[in-house]
Amino acid sequence: MRILISIDDTDNLESPGTGALASRIASDLEINGWGKSSYVTRHQLLVHPDIPYTSHNSAMCFAAEVDEAALESIIHYAAEFLKRESAAGSDPGLCVTVVDRLKNPEPLIAFGRKAKQSVITIAEAYSLAETLQLHLSEHGGTGQGVIGALAGAGLRLSGNDGRLKGRLNIADVDGWAAVSDICSHNDVDEVRSLNGPPLKDTERVKLGEKVKTVLLEGKSVLLVVPADGAVAGTAWQTCSRQQLKNY
Amino acid sequence: MSLNIRNGKKEFPGGKEDWPGAARAAEGCQSFLPDVEEEQAADAARSCYNCRYRRWTAASFTCGTQRN
Repeated sequence: MRILISIDDTDNLESPGTGALASRIASDLEINGWGKSSYVTRHQLLVHPDIPYTSHNSAMCFAAEVDEAALESIIHYAAEFLKRESAAGSDPGLCVTVVDRLKNPEPLIAFGRKAKQSVITIAEAYSLAETLQLHLSEHGGTGQGVIGALAGAGLRLSGNDGRLKGRLNIADVDGWAAVSDICSHNDVDEVRSLNGPPLKDTERVKLGEKVKTVLLEGKSVLLVVPADGAVAGTAWQTCSRQQLKNY
Repeated sequence: MSLNIRNGKKEFPGGKEDWPGAARAAEGCQSFLPDVEEEQAADAARSCYNCRYRRWTAASFTCGTQRN
């Protein structure tokens, strides 16, 4: 069955980031033979004076295909991991969502979108988790991270928020790759122009130093722009960090 | 770095998309520390927008170092 594991508020200015912890849980899930994890995505939440955060207020989430029998072990492992690995002074939260058991995903998605626009209370997060029968738990500090953890799950589930953590390694020839080759990477579903439609398989893309996808319409999409010096539509290059900043 | 004082905190006056300004500000900063990869926003490696000590605000960011 498909689950989403989302965490938030695990770091301080000296510790590894929340993304690094999410990647370790994703990796450990596979090492323990519980299932297969997908890429981790980063989801920006509201930046507001009333919300405590270290420097950026973002949640991290990944999907996994797991054995149903392993669900409780996964939840227990992730909870203990956060207790053990989260930084001093952080307020870690964990959300585990069984996607197949969600009769109506809309309230969870709406919660994620709301967390990008307004201040939400811990009580609201727990109330929704109880209604939807999701696992939501806090593992230190004030427990404030449950809000971001739940929101991260909703935003990942929406399929239209966030960008990949890390960078993709894609085989290239002198820095260029065909769209068909890019899409053969496990973590890329589509290559699309920043302001237009998907590219054809035969079109060519110059790969930048840091290649990463964003989530759009439920797909992991590599966004591109016309290559420097090329006529629009003849050759492409991957977007820069700055161009992906708002995803 | 030239920073405004807003609500008692030092806030970068260039907002969130002054890429050259944020790079210039970080250039000579002794406290610059790159943030983790997924939180870096600027193409220039050394930019206040990529620094672990910047704290995003609604309009810009505040600097968590003690300089200035």
